Amino acid sequence: MNPTLFTWMIALPLGVSPLVYLAGRLGSHKMELTNIRSWLVRGLALLTLSATWLLFILSWDKFIGSNENLQFNLESIWLRADGVSFLLAAMVLGLGTFVVLFSGPYIAGEVGEEKYYAMLLAIVGIMIGLGCARDLFNLWMWFEAMAVSSYLLVAFYREHPASLEAGMKYLVQSATGSVLVLLGIALVLGNTGTLDMDKIRLAISAASSTPLGLVLAGALFVIGFGVKVAFVPLHTWLPDAHSQAPSGISAMLSGVVIEAGLVAMLRALSTLGGFSVSWGMLLLAFGALNMFYGNLMALRQTQIKRMLAYSSLSHIGYILIGLGIALVNGSPAGAQGAAFHLFNHTIMKGLAFLAVGALMFALLDQNGIHRPLEVNDLSGAARKYPLAALALSIALLALGGLPPLAGFMSKWQIFVAGFQGSNPWLMGLVIFAALNSVLSLAYYAPVVNMLYRRNVGAVVEGGASIPLTMNIPLVILALAVVVIGLLPSLMSWLTEPAAQAFLVMFGK
Amino acid sequence: MTLNPLNIILFGVVLLLAVGFYGLLITRNLIKIVLVLQILVKAVVLALVLAGKASGNLGLGQSIAATVIVADTIVAVVALALAVQVRRRAGTLDIARISTLQG
Amino acid sequence: MAAILIGLVIGLPWLGAIVLWRTRDETPRLQHTLAVAFSIAAGVASLALIPFASAETVISFPMGRFFGSLTFTADGLAVTLTAIACVIGSLAVVFSVDYMRGEEQLSRYYAFVLLFIGAMTGLLLSGNLLFMFFFWEITALCSYALISFYNDDPKAVAGGIKALIITQVGGVGLLAGALTTYATLGSYQISDLLADAGKMPAGILALVAFGVLAAAAAKSAQFPFHTWLPDAMEAPTPISALIHAATMVNAGVYLLARFYPAFEHVPGWKLSVTVVGLVSALITAFMALTATDLKRALAYSTVSQLGYMVYAIGVGGVFASQFHLLSHAVFKALLFLSAGAVIHSAGTRDMLRMGALGKQMPFARNVFILGALALAGLPILNGFWSKELVLEAGLDRGPLWAYIGMLLGAGMTAFYTLRMTWLVFFGEVRESLHVHDAGKAMKVSLGLLAVGTLTTWLLAGPFGEMLHETLPFHSIHRLNLSELAHEIFTAPATYVALLVVAFGLVIFWMVRNQPTVKNEAWMDFLSRESFGFDWLNRQVAARTVQFASVLQKTQTGVLSWNVAGILGALLAVLIFLVWSVR
Repeated sequence: MNPTLFTWMIALPLGVSPLVYLAGRLGSHKMELTNIRSWLVRGLALLTLSATWLLFILSWDKFIGSNENLQFNLESIWLRADGVSFLLAAMVLGLGTFVVLFSGPYIAGEVGEEKYYAMLLAIVGIMIGLGCARDLFNLWMWFEAMAVSSYLLVAFYREHPASLEAGMKYLVQSATGSVLVLLGIALVLGNTGTLDMDKIRLAISAASSTPLGLVLAGALFVIGFGVKVAFVPLHTWLPDAHSQAPSGISAMLSGVVIEAGLVAMLRALSTLGGFSVSWGMLLLAFGALNMFYGNLMALRQTQIKRMLAYSSLSHIGYILIGLGIALVNGSPAGAQGAAFHLFNHTIMKGLAFLAVGALMFALLDQNGIHRPLEVNDLSGAARKYPLAALALSIALLALGGLPPLAGFMSKWQIFVAGFQGSNPWLMGLVIFAALNSVLSLAYYAPVVNMLYRRNVGAVVEGGASIPLTMNIPLVILALAVVVIGLLPSLMSWLTEPAAQAFLVMFGK
Repeated sequence: MTLNPLNIILFGVVLLLAVGFYGLLITRNLIKIVLVLQILVKAVVLALVLAGKASGNLGLGQSIAATVIVADTIVAVVALALAVQVRRRAGTLDIARISTLQG
Repeated sequence: MAAILIGLVIGLPWLGAIVLWRTRDETPRLQHTLAVAFSIAAGVASLALIPFASAETVISFPMGRFFGSLTFTADGLAVTLTAIACVIGSLAVVFSVDYMRGEEQLSRYYAFVLLFIGAMTGLLLSGNLLFMFFFWEITALCSYALISFYNDDPKAVAGGIKALIITQVGGVGLLAGALTTYATLGSYQISDLLADAGKMPAGILALVAFGVLAAAAAKSAQFPFHTWLPDAMEAPTPISALIHAATMVNAGVYLLARFYPAFEHVPGWKLSVTVVGLVSALITAFMALTATDLKRALAYSTVSQLGYMVYAIGVGGVFASQFHLLSHAVFKALLFLSAGAVIHSAGTRDMLRMGALGKQMPFARNVFILGALALAGLPILNGFWSKELVLEAGLDRGPLWAYIGMLLGAGMTAFYTLRMTWLVFFGEVRESLHVHDAGKAMKVSLGLLAVGTLTTWLLAGPFGEMLHETLPFHSIHRLNLSELAHEIFTAPATYVALLVVAFGLVIFWMVRNQPTVKNEAWMDFLSRESFGFDWLNRQVAARTVQFASVLQKTQTGVLSWNVAGILGALLAVLIFLVWSVR
């Protein structure tokens, strides 16, 4: 089988994306065709994603079978698929499929439906590509493409000033970050004369001391990509963007886009691997800050999507701690835990946003109300929407780290790493992280409580029903959260190669 | 620091960056923000060419710079489109006046 | 066979939970029937498990890298507590048939009760620290969900979240213990920890030991985490009986007993355990003296009795503590459930509004008195034997001051027990409440528990023997029945204790006619604030929220500030990197 098959995972969604757009414009002057167009667009998107899944399986097979990274080159552009690429691809594809499935009724009839799906497909392809970049500039290109498509998706409700505001802030901050990344790339280029990651590594390891320019480049990478990953205090765009975007996009943003940013950052940093302990300590510091800040900010939120957005900050914190520990003491448990938590965060946060989206759709959108969903609106929602309420509860409790749900197991794996090596600082940090998990229950648990109240609130009373196509992703994701919580080794086929690739990347 | 051409360009990069970041910190008009972002990008373009030259790989630096110009034009277009929408819906281009999301 | 039974004991309640979650509120009869069926089946399975008690690991299922193996070990300690959990669990469910009649959302209620029973047995039978913690957390979740069952009542919601947060904070200790064990010994197996504790570096072992102590104290509502249990009384009464008296709160004591051989040589550990037990027993007994809410009074007494068990472990009396645990589980479940029968029909928990209810509800009165006598420690009820055993262990092996403190506690226990009984069932009628005696299902559970209160002490011999046989790392001070009787009746300590108990009773008798007059203000204050710890909890919560609101101002929503954040962070990172690369 062809080892370059994996590039089709990137090319297919990217290539079909304009077709989806065109299909959505077919006979657009005929109103009676709206439904047919809508079905066509969704069908095409789903079909493409299914085909991409097939490609994923085939190339995975090749990857595992040959036990080495898959490479592809077109002139001087190189793409390489390693464990991290496949982890990201699986997350993106998985969540992308569910979001497309979910968005059917959610977006149906909105202006620009075809753009929504076209962008969604494009962003899936772009993110898979981002995971495979082997060249710093190439990496930046994917990163920038991802950013541009996500601006458009965040500002999808272009008639609402709040969405526009969120989109604009997101754009300006991201663009600032992207400028910083480019500066870093310029510095690397100036100091090493190349942008190929492997060659940079070679050049740096040959040099006797680290030039100051590369240190500066490292700082620029951390901050530049860090804007996208929402490191505190670079996170300020995130709560706005995640709460204002359509729920399916919130799920994508929170579930994979910030994670893709993290992958990009790690790729870039790994080329400067000369001082990986410093990177580790930086990641640990940002991790602790993100965790604490995100939890405290979430504690006071009354809008549920904003609360979930802040909870993403704290979960990025856990992932950073896992990665930081892996860099500081080379522990495979930390890398694998971080990879596992990345994956779990995708399904948990994806589930949470989709469940909230389903409730929002039924309670507000169907009644023509456009405003954020408040926690108090959910009073007694379990009466009328048992499935969505259960799914949301499972997602929230999993995010809070309660067993037998997925979040518990991946947090545990990260915590294990912190205790290995008996470094008192790391042990203290893990205990701090565990206490943060407890703190997070203080805002997750009341929402669950609200859902199961006996008092059915007025908003729930007047809610419409949730369509089946929205419920299907909820059921599957909720089951996944529970099953992974009971059998954590179920995902190690994916997380173990990712952890390995991560450690190789940093030369551990 | 001697006054060779490379250093002059470096000085230009730093100056443009300073202008750009200062502009970002004080500007409230959306169109101006887009302009300021473009100044930053131009600084970067200059930096990339400079880096190419300094490392003896000018061709690479230049080709990247050209690509960056294209890519960031797209960002500028999207930003301007958003700004137009903001002006239409909110009736102002002042980002501070439309900022409602906080806390 | 043991493997199948373990599977049944955990699996049946969980299956039941899933089935009940799917039932609809329109069919309450079906819900009651299913819940009773599943819980009784689990109870039968748990009793059937007892003969198979052994120290061997019966189930082992590898869970993947860094997670160890999911193992179950049904040793004497585990099977006994499992039987307590399942049997009292099924009695509580039977009781609920009457108590919860006509309530809404029964499916949620029963699902969580059954989920709890399964998780509790999992916690007890687990041979792996990770999965012990796993089940530990599920019990906390169930406890939270059930305390907040009446979730339209802000008090219930607040009580639930308080219980959840406090037990979770303590749980971090168990987490740290488990992680440390894995990091040093490379295994989560409890038997490995018990066998190789000596090989661990002293500081590390101390971390594990005190971590476990913190977790145990939080779960068993011991000082300084004792504040959550009284507030947990907002739960439906069968839940208070099951989770907050007979099973979950015992998990802490169980943990200490389980790990005792590993930690007994850690300097200061035994003393700390003793002090935790002593302080808890005394301050909550003190709070029970003035309590006017029937359930809160019982909750205080639960903490106090758990203090006795913790104290017993601190002085090395593992058998005494577990024996008291058995007795306490039975008589306290009896007390709670009979109190539940009273509350259910009186519609209030305020003892000052009750009085002379005994005539109208003779059955509830009789069983309550039986439980009260056991709690006070009067012969020949089960509480007498086990409490004497605890005190004797304390006198033999513990510090004298602690023993004297516990004796004082016994006196206070007698006082408040009699006071409770008197206020509810005797004395004058203070308010005419229309009450009726316990229902049929209630009577079944109460009757069985009353029989248990009268007889479980007869199990001392086989219980001790089983612990001795199946706990290879513990040295159990076992006694058969005649030895027990001989030891208790010939020890002068027994008579001292009985004297103190009698003294407590007499004092109450002297003031019985003004039990309701206002208490001393300082006593009231200390009780209301749990000796200042409630204040502390509130302060921590309030400060956290306050800090969070201050922090909210950092999210200005102003673009310039956002960009300033980016540039500031860049500067900070740069400084750090330049500093660290040097």
